[in-house]
Amino acid sequence: MLDALFDPLFSLIGGPKQLPLYLFLLPIPILLWLFWVEFHAATGRDTPAGERVVHLIDGLNSAIGKTYGWSILVLTFTTSYEVFSRYIFGAPTEWAFDASYMLYGTLFMMAGAYALARNAHVRGDFIYRAWSPRRQAMMDLVLYVLFFFPGMLAFVYAGFGFAELSRRMNEHSSASPNGPIVWPFKWLIVFVGVMMVIQGIVEVMRCIMCIRNGEWPARLHDVEELEKVMLEDAEKKKQAEMKAAEESGLRRGDV
Amino acid sequence: MFGLGNPELGVLMLALFVVFIMFGFPIAFTLMALGVFFGYFALGDLIFSLLVQRSYSVMTNDVLISIPLFVFMGYIVERANILDRLFRSLQLAAGPVPASLALATLATCAIFATATGIVGACVTLMGLLAFPAMLRAGYDVKIAAGVVCAGGCLGILIPPSVMLILYGATAGVSVVKLYAGAFFPGIMLAGLYMLYTIIMALLNPKLAPRLPLEERNVPLSTVFWALVTSFLPLAGLIGAALGSIIFGLATPSEAAAMGSLGALLLAVGYGADYTKRRNVLLVQVYGVLMVAFLAYVIVCGMTALDVDRRIVGLALFATLFVGVVLIPGTSFRLFQLKESVFLAARTTAMVCWLFIGSFTFSAVFAYLGGHEPIEKFVLWMNLSPTGFMILAQIIIFVLGWPLEWTEIIVIFMPIFLPLLKTFNIDPLFFGLLVALNIQTSFLSPPVAMAPFYLKGVAPAWVNINDIFRGVMPYMIIVIVSMVMLYTFPQIGLWLPNQLYR
Repeated sequence: MLDALFDPLFSLIGGPKQLPLYLFLLPIPILLWLFWVEFHAATGRDTPAGERVVHLIDGLNSAIGKTYGWSILVLTFTTSYEVFSRYIFGAPTEWAFDASYMLYGTLFMMAGAYALARNAHVRGDFIYRAWSPRRQAMMDLVLYVLFFFPGMLAFVYAGFGFAELSRRMNEHSSASPNGPIVWPFKWLIVFVGVMMVIQGIVEVMRCIMCIRNGEWPARLHDVEELEKVMLEDAEKKKQAEMKAAEESGLRRGDV
Repeated sequence: MFGLGNPELGVLMLALFVVFIMFGFPIAFTLMALGVFFGYFALGDLIFSLLVQRSYSVMTNDVLISIPLFVFMGYIVERANILDRLFRSLQLAAGPVPASLALATLATCAIFATATGIVGACVTLMGLLAFPAMLRAGYDVKIAAGVVCAGGCLGILIPPSVMLILYGATAGVSVVKLYAGAFFPGIMLAGLYMLYTIIMALLNPKLAPRLPLEERNVPLSTVFWALVTSFLPLAGLIGAALGSIIFGLATPSEAAAMGSLGALLLAVGYGADYTKRRNVLLVQVYGVLMVAFLAYVIVCGMTALDVDRRIVGLALFATLFVGVVLIPGTSFRLFQLKESVFLAARTTAMVCWLFIGSFTFSAVFAYLGGHEPIEKFVLWMNLSPTGFMILAQIIIFVLGWPLEWTEIIVIFMPIFLPLLKTFNIDPLFFGLLVALNIQTSFLSPPVAMAPFYLKGVAPAWVNINDIFRGVMPYMIIVIVSMVMLYTFPQIGLWLPNQLYR
């Protein structure tokens, strides 16, 4: 339907089969802009060097996660379009299946380090929560070194062979007759693994700061789950009420 | 290693994992690392290709695709500021019934939690909205707390819920069948909650006093209009998503995508500025058209005529047109959309990285044959299938005390699943029982998320022990409904058996 519009575009980038590569490349300007915003929102002139590094990497990984997070919206539209085109135009699309898993895979892989930067990976924290921050940090530090880095390095190492083989073969998807290239999608494993390792180093720096100061350094401000925001609000309100009650009590005491 | 055979290594790996889970490190990475370590000892370099293959299979998994889409839909509905009006309209509708506020709370929770699938949001929002309203009306603290907590958790049971997708992906059961199966148990549980609340109110009217007459005496047309504008669109959205999955019109991921799109339109429609006469008129005309369209589709379905595609297309364009026209001046704008996108990305990353860890871990566990000693041990206990079922449910119930449902489903289900074959238990039926059982993991101390969320937003004088005491009867109702489902499996299995023979 929109061939007249897309054909010249596709010929420019070497055919629709090359699209997956551009899925990763096109959002880069947005990514850089987001990174700039995130980093400058957190860092002023007098921020110490250690914290500056932490914010830099946090901002970078958040920007990556947020930029590619928009693929959820693209996924919503493409999948819906596939349904419409099947039922209304009576013609299922060829590309919908490849597009759907690539968008979904990109979404959650790219957000992996972002989730780590926001401490959003689920923990079995029923004992952990009761510990002092210093103790939490020490345990985290040990386990980052013992578990996280070996696991992630294995991930990168394994992913490299897998993705490089695919690139050398110039592998195309076999799910549809006009399969797009899949090797950029496989290279994602390596890229994300490296970003996870870098974010892991920053998390270790956080642990060290916490062991030194006895409390967790603040994370960048970001959108939070509704319940968390509301619980914090309620807590603040209660404290304000208590303070007001105390003050009025004092005043009455004066009289 | 250490003169241990492979199966013993498998058990050691599992035991170590259970120990390390308590140290509070992100579980996905603990699973991955243990899988890599033990896999390296058992398989050598092969573990690397195993690791990457398992990760890639998560990245291309066609069941898990629906997770981000459903999560996205949930966040849109959550940020659209719908709950307030939904609760008010249901409260008006429940007017003359005893314990009407409590019933309206349960119904609101069931609908809202089903649409969002986010337990914490539902409990805190209702804790701020319905809980004070009930206390003001003179309700007993315990019953008010119980209703809010129990109702808020229904969302992970009543389909379309993300939990059933996770179970389907781990157990290899069709998500469609799970949705069809969980439909009636979910309705049953919500019904039992309501029944219990009404009976308590009838036995002791002081627990839930009736609203004053002037608040009850609302003209029927007002009630009707309130329901049409707040309850109906949301119920329609859920119904359409679920219906198209159950009746095979769309795959779960397609239904979820359409659901997200519908939620976007709904959010725009809800938030639009209705002080403008033009908007009101537009929505009214659109509503009449849609009713006509629905009638047309139903008539076509009854008389086996083909639905004209052009009319469907027209309805679609009308919907999009109305959505776009309403956007200026709505409360759901780019900011809320951004929040939903980012939160959906983070939540999806959390769940799917857990799957990467768990797929690797369970592949190594299966290679080592860690199931054998466990299976031998269970057989040695000489249980009947019923005995095994009860034991399994008790273990899951106990796991629910310290852990959350994601961990229980993704990590501990793979251990139970091979045993189901030994005892000849249908994984679909087992899944339904587990889905009911998991409800208790939100309510039982010490990690009872729902009561603690409620405590966080409740007035300071509300005691956490009162909340727990109020939740207790509803936990017993969950167990009663499990017993009912076990005694009459047809409650869950009738619909899937009817639809997919």
